[in-house]
Amino acid sequence: MPEPIIKAEHLGKTFISKERKKGAKRKKKVEALKDVSLDVFDGEVFGLLGPNGAGKTTLIKCLTTLLIPTSGNAWVNGHNVLKEEDEVRASIGCMLMGDRGLYWKLTGRENLNYFGALYHVPKVARTKRTQELIDLLELSDFIDRTVETYSSGQKMILAFAKSLINDAPILILDEPTVTMDVPTARNLRALVKDLNRQGKTILYTTHLMHEAEELCQRVGIIDHGEIIALGSPAELKASMKREDVIEIEGIFPGRVIEDVRGLSGIRAVAVKAESGGRSKLAIQCENSRVVLPKIIEALVGDGSSIEYVKPQEITLEDVFMAKTGRSLAVDTAAVGKAEVKGAGGRG
Amino acid sequence: MVDRGIGLGRPGWRANLDIVLTVVISRLKIVSRYKGMLVTEAFLPIIFAAFPLMLGFSIGGPNAGANFLRNTGATGVADVDAFYKLYMLLGACTFTVVTLMMWLIGYWIRREQETGTLESLYLAPAKRFYVLAGVSTYAFLRSLMIFVIALSIGSVLFGVNPLAGNLGVAMLFYVAGFLPLWGIGFIFGAFIMKIKEANSVIQLVQWVIAFLMGIYYPITFFPGWMQYVAASFPPTIMNDGVRSAVLGIGNLFGGEWWVPFAVLLTFSLIIPLLGYEIFLETERRLRRTEGLGQY
Repeated sequence: MPEPIIKAEHLGKTFISKERKKGAKRKKKVEALKDVSLDVFDGEVFGLLGPNGAGKTTLIKCLTTLLIPTSGNAWVNGHNVLKEEDEVRASIGCMLMGDRGLYWKLTGRENLNYFGALYHVPKVARTKRTQELIDLLELSDFIDRTVETYSSGQKMILAFAKSLINDAPILILDEPTVTMDVPTARNLRALVKDLNRQGKTILYTTHLMHEAEELCQRVGIIDHGEIIALGSPAELKASMKREDVIEIEGIFPGRVIEDVRGLSGIRAVAVKAESGGRSKLAIQCENSRVVLPKIIEALVGDGSSIEYVKPQEITLEDVFMAKTGRSLAVDTAAVGKAEVKGAGGRG
Repeated sequence: MVDRGIGLGRPGWRANLDIVLTVVISRLKIVSRYKGMLVTEAFLPIIFAAFPLMLGFSIGGPNAGANFLRNTGATGVADVDAFYKLYMLLGACTFTVVTLMMWLIGYWIRREQETGTLESLYLAPAKRFYVLAGVSTYAFLRSLMIFVIALSIGSVLFGVNPLAGNLGVAMLFYVAGFLPLWGIGFIFGAFIMKIKEANSVIQLVQWVIAFLMGIYYPITFFPGWMQYVAASFPPTIMNDGVRSAVLGIGNLFGGEWWVPFAVLLTFSLIIPLLGYEIFLETERRLRRTEGLGQY
């Protein structure tokens, strides 16, 4: 039986946010985490999945001592996050806020040296470790330039190097590939796998389900501050085994989703993507062979134009959809738009 | 639960000293990469001193120095114009040090918040005390550089000799005055961390400080109660101590130089501790409520 290296028990975090409506200021309670309990086992890659604003970053911040939880308790590497903060911090390598955690007027090498010192890594070991990371992550072309001259991908990879400077047993990566191009993100995922093979425990948050499926031995799906599903990707998918998923592309009038939801044998319907009036519906049902003719009949009856019908393999995205009735991709995009309008930080 | 150790980290006094040194060196590297910043800063106190000098000479004409000397109550001064000029220059230099310390220490946390590096600092196991010690040492070195450069260039431009008085005692006041400034910087930093908006507060406070510490005049010009308020403010004692040592005039407390020095030392013990405690309490409160990275 594997032992936990990170343990959260009934963690809760409530923020008081101020709302301004019609000139009046009002205080509002926001429950960012609700009674979250989970174990991350020694030596595993654990994925924390959920849309922006779900509570992933708040949970990570509580586990890394950046935030004090309102209720509950947690332990990291055998140390209590409320009582042994320095020991917890020393046990973790962390990449939290992407490229914002770097000093732009220092070079990459100087940044690694600076943060190495803050992690109590002795000078000689720091210099050696910096060179190892430069070689491992292929940073030599830009490591001696000031960070202000880096591309966003280069900044992200340096931030990743920073999280490895103390060679801690636990690595916490909060959406590390978010601004990376496809090849760089692929390389980073390969490195994460290597680091895990070397024995590091990795807590990896993402809203990209394919990343989680590729990397994680176990995942926790978080939504509205609650863990709504926990297990290996295979277990979570198996929990939906008796359900089929059908993907239908086309042009659908507004009421059609409600009509399809009302059909017998339908478990969930979500809009997965929308562009130029075209939509992609993901429909979970008990038996696609029985239900599909009824769905098509309902869609055509409502005036829909069907362009493509595809039965699908179950993915973690479908698990999320089954638990919440929403699509993660659309949820994330919606929160992203709200954030651009000034609604706040990352989840 | 599993405990897998802490990787390459080796906490201890060497590591703490290493943090202080690394922070100082990194800060100096950063400021050196803003071209011309230190030179520009060094000219500020000279300009600050030139304002009252020009005003004085335009009002008092050739008697400006003598009038000023008579009103300050100083005696036994041979070159009255040089006294007048050096008085203003020293006041302006000390004020620049004080205000620079307020910006560098008080605004430090806010700057880290704005650049996004604050959470990175708080994710590391380094005790805040050592990081702050590094920031404060850097602030001290930078302000000392500005003080020395400005005083040297200003003395040449104004034709005065700052080495005629007791420079050793002046430096003692300078160093002892730095410690309460460190504490005031913490209190200020805590306040800014809480209210978020720093610029307008610092702008206001620095001129209140300039007024209270009497950069261009002895605080004996204040009404009685205000003299007590001003004298209980460490930068005032620092300014008075530096000035009385360099110019060879009496100090605020009327006795030997070590009397105000002892008062300043007492502040040096109390205010940094008080400031650090207020800073930590504010930080704890923020971690309980909104989080440190919010800005």
